[in-house]
Amino acid sequence: MFDRIPAQTLRILILLAVFAAVVLFFSAVIEGYLNARLFNRISTSVAIVAMIAVGQAFVVLTRNIDLSVGSVVGCVAYFVGGLLAAWPGMPPVLVVALAVLIGAGFGAVNGLFVARFGLPSIIVTLATLAIFRSVLVESSDGSSITTDRLPAWVPGFAQANAAEIGGLQLRWMVVVALAVVILAHVFLTRFRAGRQFFAIGSNPDAAKFAGIDGARTVFWAFVLSGALAGLAGFMFLSRFGNITVVAGLGFELKSVGAVVVGGVNIFGGSGNVIGVLIGAALIDLIDTSLVRWELVSEFWREAVLGLLILAAVVADTLLSRRLMARRRRMAARQGTVGAEKRA
Amino acid sequence: MTEPVLEMRGVSKSFGATEALRDVSLRLFPGEIHALVGENGAGKSTLIKAMTGIHQPSAGAILIDGCEVQFRDTGAAQRAGVAAIYQEPMVFPDLSVAENIFISHRDRPRLIDWKAMNDEAEAIIARLGVAIDPRRQAGELTLAEQQSVEIARAISLKVRVLIMDEPSASLSDHEVQRLFGIARALRDEGVAVLYISHRLEEIFALSDRVSVMRDGRHISTRPTAETTQAGLIAEMVGRDMAGRFARMPGQARDEVTLRVTGLSREGAFRDVSFAVRAGEIVCLSGLVGARRTDVALALFGIAPADAGRIELAGQAVAIASPKDAMRLGIAYVSEDRRRMGLALGESIAANITLPALDRYTRAFGWIDRLRELADAADFRRKLNIKAASLTAPAGTLSGGNQQKVMLAKWLNMGPKVLIVDEPTRGIDIGAKAEVHALLRALAGQGVAILVISSDLPEVLSLADRVLVMREGRLAGEFPGETATDEAVMRVAVGAV
Amino acid sequence: MSGGRIPASLRAQLASWEGFLLLVVVLLVLLNALASPFFLTVQNQINLFQLSVEKIIVALVMTFVIINGEIDLSVASVMGLAACAFGWLVQEGMPAGWAIPLVLGIGALCGAFNAVFIVALGLPSLVVTLATLIAFRGMARILVEDRGIGDFPAWFDRLGQQPLAGPFPLALILFAVLTVIAFVILQRTAFGRRVYFIGSSREVAAFSGVDVGRVKAAIFVASGLVSALAGLLYAARVGAVRGDVALGFELDIITIVLLGGVSIFGGVGTITGTLLSILIVLNLRNGMALANITGHIQTGVLGVLLILSVMVPAIRDRARRLFGAREVAR
Repeated sequence: MFDRIPAQTLRILILLAVFAAVVLFFSAVIEGYLNARLFNRISTSVAIVAMIAVGQAFVVLTRNIDLSVGSVVGCVAYFVGGLLAAWPGMPPVLVVALAVLIGAGFGAVNGLFVARFGLPSIIVTLATLAIFRSVLVESSDGSSITTDRLPAWVPGFAQANAAEIGGLQLRWMVVVALAVVILAHVFLTRFRAGRQFFAIGSNPDAAKFAGIDGARTVFWAFVLSGALAGLAGFMFLSRFGNITVVAGLGFELKSVGAVVVGGVNIFGGSGNVIGVLIGAALIDLIDTSLVRWELVSEFWREAVLGLLILAAVVADTLLSRRLMARRRRMAARQGTVGAEKRA
Repeated sequence: MTEPVLEMRGVSKSFGATEALRDVSLRLFPGEIHALVGENGAGKSTLIKAMTGIHQPSAGAILIDGCEVQFRDTGAAQRAGVAAIYQEPMVFPDLSVAENIFISHRDRPRLIDWKAMNDEAEAIIARLGVAIDPRRQAGELTLAEQQSVEIARAISLKVRVLIMDEPSASLSDHEVQRLFGIARALRDEGVAVLYISHRLEEIFALSDRVSVMRDGRHISTRPTAETTQAGLIAEMVGRDMAGRFARMPGQARDEVTLRVTGLSREGAFRDVSFAVRAGEIVCLSGLVGARRTDVALALFGIAPADAGRIELAGQAVAIASPKDAMRLGIAYVSEDRRRMGLALGESIAANITLPALDRYTRAFGWIDRLRELADAADFRRKLNIKAASLTAPAGTLSGGNQQKVMLAKWLNMGPKVLIVDEPTRGIDIGAKAEVHALLRALAGQGVAILVISSDLPEVLSLADRVLVMREGRLAGEFPGETATDEAVMRVAVGAV
Repeated sequence: MSGGRIPASLRAQLASWEGFLLLVVVLLVLLNALASPFFLTVQNQINLFQLSVEKIIVALVMTFVIINGEIDLSVASVMGLAACAFGWLVQEGMPAGWAIPLVLGIGALCGAFNAVFIVALGLPSLVVTLATLIAFRGMARILVEDRGIGDFPAWFDRLGQQPLAGPFPLALILFAVLTVIAFVILQRTAFGRRVYFIGSSREVAAFSGVDVGRVKAAIFVASGLVSALAGLLYAARVGAVRGDVALGFELDIITIVLLGGVSIFGGVGTITGTLLSILIVLNLRNGMALANITGHIQTGVLGVLLILSVMVPAIRDRARRLFGAREVAR
C-alpha cells in the first residue's frame, strides 16, 4: 500500500502524525495545554520561523545552504526599527518593502559569491553570517531598539487579527506566512521557473548540458532567502520590539532544522515547502512547549532541538534508502519482463 | 544534391599551447548514420564539444544549412537542432521522465500543465519503441532507459543532428540492439546521427558512412561499405598494425592458484566455475552485460558472492572485503578508472604504494619515503611511465600513463592473482603493446592472471585460455591457440 | 564534500600559497612591531597566543577533519560542554583530578557520537555536526543552566593562568607539542597518508584497502577529545564557566584552517599552512584590538578574509583554464 503513495505525500503524512503525537504528549503532561491562548502565542512565532525556513528551502533545493539568515533577520529588524524610530511617519507599505529589499540585498551578496564566483555556499554564508552581524554591531554602536521608540502600529501588527473563531485568533502575521508558503508551493510545483530549482540541485552538471542557467537560479535562490529573511526581520521587530545586537541569532539553525525535518533533501533536488511549514511548526512547538513543562527545565530546549534534527535526518535517510532500494528492485523486475515482451 | 545539415569547415581549437583540433572539415547530411572513429586523444570529444556549443572554435566555421553560425552556449546549439548524448546519462534523477524531456524547452508556457506534458512525453517515448512511464522518477530508471529519456529530450527539441558519444559502452545486448533501432528510426525520419564508438563491429553494423580522426585532424570519410576493419585501424593508428596481434608461447605452470566453483550472486551471475594456474593468462570475454566485472568484484570482495567456493592454492577462502582479497594476494585493476583508479591529487609515488602501505610503514607509523620513491622509480622504469617527477600529482599524467600507474599500484602489492578489467581500454596502441608485454612478463614470474576484455584481438593474442560469459553464466571455453573471432563471438551472442 | 576538481601541479600551487602566507605573516609582524615597541617582547607574544590558545589547538585537529573531506561544526559546543561538565562535576564534589580525565572521556564520547551517524549511517557530516552543535550546547546548558561556576581548585587555576616552564604557560606548551605531533601524524605517517587519500577520493581509498570507516571514526573521536581538552584549558584560564563558553568559536576555527590553504573539498592542506594562518589571524586580531576594533567587527573582518581565501584559488583556477593549462587527463 505504501508503495502507491508518492514519497512526498507519505512524508507529509508522517510529519502530521508526529505533530499530532507531540501535541497529544504535551497535552497529557502539561496542565491546560490545549487552549486558544497557546495557539495564539505560538502561531506568530511559527510564522516567523516558517518564513525564514521557506527561503532556506529554496537555497537547500539547489544544493546549497544559507547560514547567514539569522544575521539578516537581526540586521533588517535593527535597521527598520532604527528608521522607524527616526521617522515614525513612514508609511507601513514602504517599511515592509524596505525590509524585503534590504534582505534581498544581503541575499544578492551571497548569491554573487556562490553563483557568480562559484564559491561553496557553506563558506560564503559562514563568512557573511559574521560580516553582516559585524555590520549590525558597527552601525548600532551597541544601542538597541526598544518598543517605545517604535510607532504603535508596528507592535500592533503582531497583535492584529484577520479572523477570530472562538478564542482562536488568526493573526495577520500568520496569514502572511501561510500565503508565502502557498505561493512558494505553487511556484515550485507548477511553474517551469520553479522546477529549475529542483533541477539544479538534482544534477548541477546536467543543467549545463540541458541549457539551464544554473548560476541564475542559484543567485535567485539566495535573493529569495534574503528577501524572506528580511520580511521575517520586520515581523520579528513587530513581535518582539526590543532588538539587541544579537537579535536573530539561532534562526539559521532553526531554519535548516525545519527544512531537514520537513523532508527537503540536504543535497537538494527534492522536497516540499508544505513539509517545511510543518517542520517549522513542529520545531517551534517543541521549543515553546518544553518551556511550559515544569518537569523539564527550559535549558533542555537546545539539546532536544539538536537531537530532534538528528533523528529527522536519520529517519529520512533510512526511509528513503529503503524506499529507493525497494523501488529499484521492483523496477528491475518489471524492466526485464517488459523487455522480454517487446523482444 | 542535398545540402549538409551541419558542416564543420576548417575548424581548429587550441587550449593554450595544445592543439586539439587542426583544420577539421566534416559534413553531416540529413538521414544518415555517420560514424566517427579515432583513438583516444584524436580530438573526437573536442569536435563534439565544438558542435554542441561547449567550446568555441579558435578558427574555422560551423554551418547549419549552409549558413554560418556561432554557438555561444549549449542552449544556442540546441535551438539550432544539435544535441548530444554521452556515455553517462545526464538526467535529473529527482525529476520525472516527462520533466526531464521538456526541461530545456524555452517556448513552453510558464505554468505547467502536467497532464498535457505527460501525454506528450508518452507520445515521444512511443516513437522510440520503448515503454517508460513518464511519471516515474528518472533516478529509478536503468542506464539504458535514462539514455532513452535523453534521446527523447533531443527528439522533443526537434533535433536535426544527434550526436551519440560511446552510447553502447555500458549497455546490455538487448539494450544495444534497441539503441540501434532508435538510431535507425531517427535516420529514417531525416535526422543526421553522428555515432562515436571504439567498437568497430558496431560501426559496420550500423553506419552509412565512417570518418576517421587522428591527432586532431580529419583523415578520411567514406561510405562504410567501402572500408574494412584493417583499413580503418590503419588510418586511426597511422601505421600498419598487422603484426600487432602475434601470439607468444604460454607459460602456465602445473599448480592451480585460483579455483572457483559454482560461484553465484543473486541478480548478477550464476554457477561460474573455472581455474587459473600460476603463470597462466585466462581471458574472460563476452559482450557487455555478460557480467564479467561482477565476477571480478566478487573475487575482490567489493560485491561478494552469495554461493560457491573460492580456493587459493588449494585452500578454501572467504572474501568479504577488498582487504580480505588483498591479504590473500588478489589484486584488481578496475575498468572504472574514475572511481577505482587513482587519487589524482596525490603524488604518483603515493598512489603506487597505497595498497601496500604497511610495507613502507616503520615505527609509530612513520613512512619510509626513500624506499617509496625507489620502488616507484623502479616501476617507472619497468612500465615505461612518462613522468618527470614521481612526487607530481597523478592527475598531471596522460590517460595511458595513469593506466600504467594503476597497474604499478597493484603490481607493487606482489599479487599472486592479478585481475585486470579492460586493461587497455581507451589507451593508444603503443601503450597497449607495452601493457601486453608486461602481462606476459608477469605470467612468466608465476602470477595467475585473469584478464577481462571486450577487445577480441587482445583476447586472442594474450590468452592461454579463453572463457566466454553470456548473461551471467559461463557459456564456453577455448584453448588460446585455436580460438577464433568467429567462434568466440558465436558463443558470446548465443548463436546456435 | 570530498572529491573535488584537481588543477595541475597542485603541490606547486600549495607551496606558493604557503609562501604567500609567510609573506603576510612577516608583513603583519612588522606592522605590529612598528605600531608598538612592546609588541615583540616575549611576554606580549605569549599573551597573543594565550588569548586564543584554545581555538588554535582545535584548529590543528580541524585540519585533519577537513582534509579528510568532512567538517565538524560541533567543536565549539564540545568545548563548552567539556568546560561546563568539569564545572558541574567539581561543584558536585568530584576532585578536579578525577574530573579532568572524565571530561576528556566525555569529549571523546561526543566525537564517537558524531562518528556513529557519519560513519556507520553514512549521513553527511555537515548536517550531523550542525545538529550536535545544537545538542551538545544544549547539554552544556542543562548542566550549568544560567549560572556561572567558578570555584575551581587553586592548582587548576594556576595551571591555566600562570607560567609553567619558564615564561610559558601549560596551554602554550601543549599547543607547541600538539603542533609537532599533528605535523608528524598528518604528513609523515601512514595514517596521515590515508587521511589525504580518503579526502582526495574516498572510493579509490576504499577500493585500495583503506579502512575508511576506521580512519574517519578516529578523526572524529580525536576532534571531540581535543575540543574537550581545549574546553578544560579555557576553564582553567578564565577561572569560571558559563553556558555560553566558546559560543561561535567554530567560525574562527574553520576560518583559520581554510585560510591556511586547506581545501573544503578535501585532500589538500598542511599543518604548516594552518600554523601560518594561525600566526596571521592572531597578529591580525592583536592589531585590530590595538586599533580599538571590537570583537564583533574583528569577526567580520575574518569573514571577509575567509571569502578572500577561497576566492583566490577559484580565480587562479579560472585564470589557469583561460590561459590554457592542459586539461587533466582522466
